[in-house]
Amino acid sequence: MMNSTPWLIAAIVAGSSLSAAVLAQSASDARPPDPKRGATIAAQGTPSGAPGCAQCHAFNGASDGSGAFPRIAGQSAHYLAKELHDFGSGVRNNAVMSPIARAMTPDDIADVAAYYASLHAPVLPLPPPEPALVKKGEQLARFGNDEKRIQACNNCHGAGGTGEPPTIPYLAGQYSNYIATELKMWQRGYRKNSPNQMAAVSKLLSDDDIAAVAAYYQQILGSGELANSQ
Amino acid sequence: MAETLKAVDAVTIGVGLTGSLAALELAQAGLKVVGLERGAARFTVPDFQSPTIHDELRFSIRKAMMQDNTKVAVTFRNSSDQTALPIRRWESFLPGQGLGGSFVHWNGQSFRAQVADFIYRTHHLERYGQKFLDSCGEDLTIQDWGVTYDELEPHFDRMEYLIGVSGKAGNINGQIQPGGNPFEAPRKREYPNPPMKETYFGAIFRKAAAGLGYHPYPQPSSNLSRPYTNPLGLKMQACVFCGFCERYACEHFAKGSPQTTILPVLLKNPNYELRTNCEVVRINLDSTGKKATGVTYFDAAGREFFQPADIVFITAFPLNNVRTLLLSGIGEPYDPKTGKGVVGRNYTYQTTGGPAVFLDENINVNAFMSSGAPGTMIDDFGGDNFDHSNLGFIGGQYVGSIMTGARPIEFHPTPPGTPKWGLEWKKAVARHYNHTILVQQHGTSQPSRLNYLDLDPTYKDAWGLPLLRMTFDFPENDIRMSQYIADKVVEIGRAMGGKVVVRGGTKRPYSTTFYQSTHNAGGAVMGDDPKTSVVNRYQQCWDVPNVFSLGASSFPQNITYNYSVTIGAITMFALDAIKNKYLKSPGPLVHA
Repeated sequence: MMNSTPWLIAAIVAGSSLSAAVLAQSASDARPPDPKRGATIAAQGTPSGAPGCAQCHAFNGASDGSGAFPRIAGQSAHYLAKELHDFGSGVRNNAVMSPIARAMTPDDIADVAAYYASLHAPVLPLPPPEPALVKKGEQLARFGNDEKRIQACNNCHGAGGTGEPPTIPYLAGQYSNYIATELKMWQRGYRKNSPNQMAAVSKLLSDDDIAAVAAYYQQILGSGELANSQ
Repeated sequence: MAETLKAVDAVTIGVGLTGSLAALELAQAGLKVVGLERGAARFTVPDFQSPTIHDELRFSIRKAMMQDNTKVAVTFRNSSDQTALPIRRWESFLPGQGLGGSFVHWNGQSFRAQVADFIYRTHHLERYGQKFLDSCGEDLTIQDWGVTYDELEPHFDRMEYLIGVSGKAGNINGQIQPGGNPFEAPRKREYPNPPMKETYFGAIFRKAAAGLGYHPYPQPSSNLSRPYTNPLGLKMQACVFCGFCERYACEHFAKGSPQTTILPVLLKNPNYELRTNCEVVRINLDSTGKKATGVTYFDAAGREFFQPADIVFITAFPLNNVRTLLLSGIGEPYDPKTGKGVVGRNYTYQTTGGPAVFLDENINVNAFMSSGAPGTMIDDFGGDNFDHSNLGFIGGQYVGSIMTGARPIEFHPTPPGTPKWGLEWKKAVARHYNHTILVQQHGTSQPSRLNYLDLDPTYKDAWGLPLLRMTFDFPENDIRMSQYIADKVVEIGRAMGGKVVVRGGTKRPYSTTFYQSTHNAGGAVMGDDPKTSVVNRYQQCWDVPNVFSLGASSFPQNITYNYSVTIGAITMFALDAIKNKYLKSPGPLVHA
């Protein structure tokens, strides 16, 4: 798997434009990612000024449950690295993450991605969402909406929202505020990766739809369960 | 005893591509239309959603979307001196059943037929002469369509914009366009959407084909490259290369189908009524035999109804169009002994099957990430795009790297010499699964006096009616054509880096036991002479002018390409004439 094919095709399938960074990464794929070094970066940051990831995402990748920061434990390394590159290039524009990503080298990114991908963090005990909202969210997540021409989220994000690694992230156990915010970022054009899929889908969703799917995915995993797409 | 229902203006027998197109145009023109579909109703949500829709055993192997051949099969034999037997497992071709018809499980490979295709006999006579044609086979019965490409161009355009075809034009108003197919018929404007992203197997083919001097281009696709809103205001989504397209329905609203591009508007039209699980058994004629009065059908509960209608549209799968005509006594059945009669005549198939190219282990093809029309291909050997003068055959094939999913139950390529089962087979599958590219040859099939469709004398369907009998083998012409191109394609396979290239090409006898093509065509062909055609250029029956038989059963011979877009174009052409001429003055639109 040392040639660039899997990266190329994966990126094509994700419907994203190939950033120069991703191409450069795959072409110079000389050294395997080092999750131990990734752990050090997560705890201490990098000499070039990127703060430790753990400050917001926690050392175990569960983040704090507010949804200001996504849960990243067990998310695929490919996906995490791609998002960091997209933050760096501005395809995914974020005032907090973009400068951090720019301060990281391709090796830094590969290493922290490998580290967080390897983790199995427990799900935080959070207050249960409104059952009616969850039910509506489940309908959209599993079956979609024919009238609005929305396909089921799970078609791509996997049965139960467990993800389709390496390209498609898990949603099961992801924080509802985070999911809702990202869908709105796509709606409003701040997030430009996945222009043909997530941006298009987000524009078909009402605020109520967004609240419903976000609530549904957060509560799929019970408190203490391990979310891991791999 | 049949219950007689309230009369309507028009009825369609089948609600697939042609049935929904016809119903939409006529309902919008103010006619009361009833659509009778033998299968069940089904919609993108909830019926086509995953994980259900990705059930390879159910859909690919057990053919859950196909015509229920425990009720209605087709019998088959290679020649008139054999006894035909019913096909109880669809393999070679896959007629769809259910709302949307075969236009739900199609791959979305979206070509236009060429200029010469519509004037096939004239073109070949002018370019090569009668003597040459005779040398290709005395039994060949090629003929013109009675309609020209120029007349159809606006309708090709409408069809492509309706279903959102993604492609790159190769010829706009005669100007060759870089990146497109330089052999394609001139179009007035670009495709509605840009081509799909090129796959890795496509890129390997492109490099090899271009290096040999051919003209690679992206296959036009009705799996969409971007979100799109069609002229009816229906929104479609971009394809995600999920790998489950042919034999499946699209879960993403990303494949052009009646469900995504026509039905949501049609079903809201108060002039339209859809009735599913309704099996039409015949078209009723009045005492003169020259006028249809309606259709007789059975519903799911086994009740018999007579639905009176002023116009009857046969809009089933092509084979079933022919059977409906035969069961209804419309048109003279073809007799292969005398060559007289027309219904069942000029049944044609397609020539398919290309090489398997076995590559080095360090090349990861990853063909499981794919769409239904992901090809990079060449048309250098399509139709009459190359000089046939010294070749002894007519016709041609497109060639391309078109891998539609590499799904695990269906796809396990192994090189020749590998055992068919056991440990060595397993090892070979593991070695070659991700390092093999299949190259497709796909092309014409010429009509022959010997090949035809009629009613089987022995086998009957669940309603006691004779099954359709298919008598078919590839004419020698088609074998010569396919084998000639197979040699050329082996060279491409080697240039792709093939360590082993297994030569393709069609062989005799034709067998129904492995998949080849669902482009069954002809049997109720169009033309300008009632002695050699069942329908006129508007697909109107010569003998019963208020019956229209729409679809590929009208093709006088089969074309190089996958045929859905061409079906759409001839159907829209017919509907224009029906709306603008026939409705004002019902009767024959062409006087023979």
